[in-house]
Amino acid sequence: MDRREFLRQVALWSAGLSVGVPHFTIGEALAADDRLPLLAHATGKNYRDLVDRVLSPLGGMEKFVRPSDKVVVKPNIGWDRNPAQAANTHPQVVRVLVERALDAGAGEVLVFDRTCNEERRCYVNSGIQEVLAGIKDKRLKFFHPDERKYVPVDIARGKAVRRLDIYRDALEADSYINVPVAKHHGLSRLTLGLKNSMGVLGGTRGAMHHNLGQKLADLATVIRPKLTVIDATRILLANGPQGGNLNDVKVLDTVVASVDPVAADAYATTLFGLRPEEIESTVAAHALGLGEIDLKKIKVITA
Amino acid sequence: MKTTRKIPLYYWRRLSQLACLALFFFLFIRTDYSGSDTIEYAVNILFRIDPLLALSASVAAGFFILLMLPAVGTVLLTLILGRFFCGWICPMGTLLDGCRNVTPNTQTGKKRTYRPLKFYLLGFLLVGAWFGLPMAGYVDPFSILVRGLALAVDPALNALSATFFTYTYQEAPAWVNAVTEPVYAFLKASVLPFNQKYYDLALLSLGILLLIFFLEKLERRFFCRNICPLGALFAVTARFSLLRGKAGSTCGTCRNCREVCRMGAIDEDRTISMLDCNLCLDCIHHCPGNKISFRFGGQSRTKPFFALSRRTFVGSLAVGALLPFFLKSRTLARQSDELLIRPPGALPEEEFVGRCVRCGECMKVCIGNGLQPAFLQAGLEGMFSPILKARTGYCEYNCTLCGQVCPSGAIAKLSVPEKKKVKIGNVVFDKNRCLPYAKGIPCIVCEEHCPTPDKAIKFREATVENSRGEKVTVKQPYLIDDLCVGCGICETKCPLPGASAVMVTSAGESRNPAKALPDTGSAWQVI
Repeated sequence: MDRREFLRQVALWSAGLSVGVPHFTIGEALAADDRLPLLAHATGKNYRDLVDRVLSPLGGMEKFVRPSDKVVVKPNIGWDRNPAQAANTHPQVVRVLVERALDAGAGEVLVFDRTCNEERRCYVNSGIQEVLAGIKDKRLKFFHPDERKYVPVDIARGKAVRRLDIYRDALEADSYINVPVAKHHGLSRLTLGLKNSMGVLGGTRGAMHHNLGQKLADLATVIRPKLTVIDATRILLANGPQGGNLNDVKVLDTVVASVDPVAADAYATTLFGLRPEEIESTVAAHALGLGEIDLKKIKVITA
Repeated sequence: MKTTRKIPLYYWRRLSQLACLALFFFLFIRTDYSGSDTIEYAVNILFRIDPLLALSASVAAGFFILLMLPAVGTVLLTLILGRFFCGWICPMGTLLDGCRNVTPNTQTGKKRTYRPLKFYLLGFLLVGAWFGLPMAGYVDPFSILVRGLALAVDPALNALSATFFTYTYQEAPAWVNAVTEPVYAFLKASVLPFNQKYYDLALLSLGILLLIFFLEKLERRFFCRNICPLGALFAVTARFSLLRGKAGSTCGTCRNCREVCRMGAIDEDRTISMLDCNLCLDCIHHCPGNKISFRFGGQSRTKPFFALSRRTFVGSLAVGALLPFFLKSRTLARQSDELLIRPPGALPEEEFVGRCVRCGECMKVCIGNGLQPAFLQAGLEGMFSPILKARTGYCEYNCTLCGQVCPSGAIAKLSVPEKKKVKIGNVVFDKNRCLPYAKGIPCIVCEEHCPTPDKAIKFREATVENSRGEKVTVKQPYLIDDLCVGCGICETKCPLPGASAVMVTSAGESRNPAKALPDTGSAWQVI
């Protein structure tokens, strides 16, 4: 099923026009091309600058956002924690990405996350609400997800999960930019890009945790970011995913970006001294053909 | 005061009523998280100017609760102006007056059969509060109003709009949505609550509120005349008020003033009883001879139109004094309900129930929808007091709003660091249900959500046999009692259908040293 047909079905279902059980499938080719995936990483104290530096070898934001595109920038705002505690994406990283998407001529830029703690507290305490309020551009929409806009989607390629409720805007985005923070997680060991996509799911997400790695890979067959930017400006080494103890935080001043979501996760895993194969979701996603796990087959550029 | 020709006096009264009602609703809506850790103003001011609750809570506490000092001001003003509060300020009274058009058959009512009831009730409540049966919040008009609105009306309003706008969103054409969606966005930003909340006793709270409105069928302001113990307190005070109403006694057969009086405060001789008069000033407007006036001074005190039965009054005091001792015969007096989990900062149980005015504000402001009104968990005297029901919602780790809005200090106002040190309960795992234990299925959602910086829920890796007979390695959760604050997020988020596999109990709560746990309590450290 091609993307246009899929979007038509999303619209029809949302408008209550399609009959019967909502039924969507995505079966298009998963791996984009055979070339070595490009991955850029940069280190530095100026976080605004960092984002620009990693974008540039990938072709700049213009490569990912065309004029009048509907863009989703999806940070991790899951927890009622402040930026220093490393539980949410750093507000400056989010801000620069939003600004660059606007600069590239996006029709609209949507920023949201379905939080774990109370929604408003997360948005405020993460610092993201404040920095985005500083961007005076009507195309930027920073909002709390609307209960009505979750659409059931059949995960045709899924091995562990068959159907998920997914936020409509995430499905409809012309350009979906995933901006996770790299941190520790009790069950999956780390939460990176693939795990961050859980923020567009509706319903009870707890059940995702049974066979989490495979389910995240299944979700990644539908939520396919054009760009993954992993915030490792500071990483959480223990008591994740929400942390709270500054002793568990390590400042790395690093940002990683790639077109390949699996490669981005695989590389970011090494920042914790772990091997990519130790993260189940990365392994499962690679097995589904969603991207590269082998670091030797990833072209890493220090920007 | 004189009747002015241009603007009738009762216009000012109406203006005051409307302004106070608007202020009330404004404060009600603002009793919510607003993006800041501190809440600047909330509807609690209404409860702090309420002398009934101030008196009852103070009597129960055994000292005057300074937080409720503004109530003294209300009493002083009543000594000057009489029951102006009932006529000019009280939002419940205003709503009752306002719904008159909805219940058009209302009799003005001149009977005084039930008039003494409120005094008996007042006596019972105050004596009861002293002896350990604090029930003023059950019948206080503000408690009934805010509870009804917060627990029932507000969530219902949200559900109604969500249903309607979901229908338009899904079924209506785009041009309809071009109108309805901005309207919904506006409503959400202004009057609707941020999200859908769910409450125990929602229907009971609504029923009690509606009952007061149904009583209007019997006579106008039935509740205010006959039941309201706050009104009784004002009546006792207003008996000595400086402002006195004077009606004509030589005005022939006209009884207009008696006909319009919403409080039944004017007798056959057209004497205005300041015990009942709520200064609505309608009589001035309706008196054809302009014989009615309100002046300061004059006769020293009004005689009530009705006789309190001394026997009944003493009887109600006796019930208030004796009933509490029957509470001691319950098992609850020996063993409190293990699911009676109080908000962080709650005083020790007896003091807490004594001071809690059942206003429902803490439940309204609880952003996790964790606080629920108790039914009988805290006994007959604890109904509508807040308890944490962690399967519905949890206590947000960084939030201190409940203590900030509590009008009587039953929940202490804590700083965020102070609050994090308070343990309101402790968690137990049900290994027969918990997936890694019972089924060999990986889960650990509880550990993921555990908010303490050093997680109270930790896990051990264990190799177990799952239901297919396969050996699997799973992470099994366990608790460090010392670290657990009892917030209940684990119970809320436990992905099992139905009952949670992890449950908060009040064991180990820091307000009660008798409940110390083996891992944490000093009482256990003898070994």
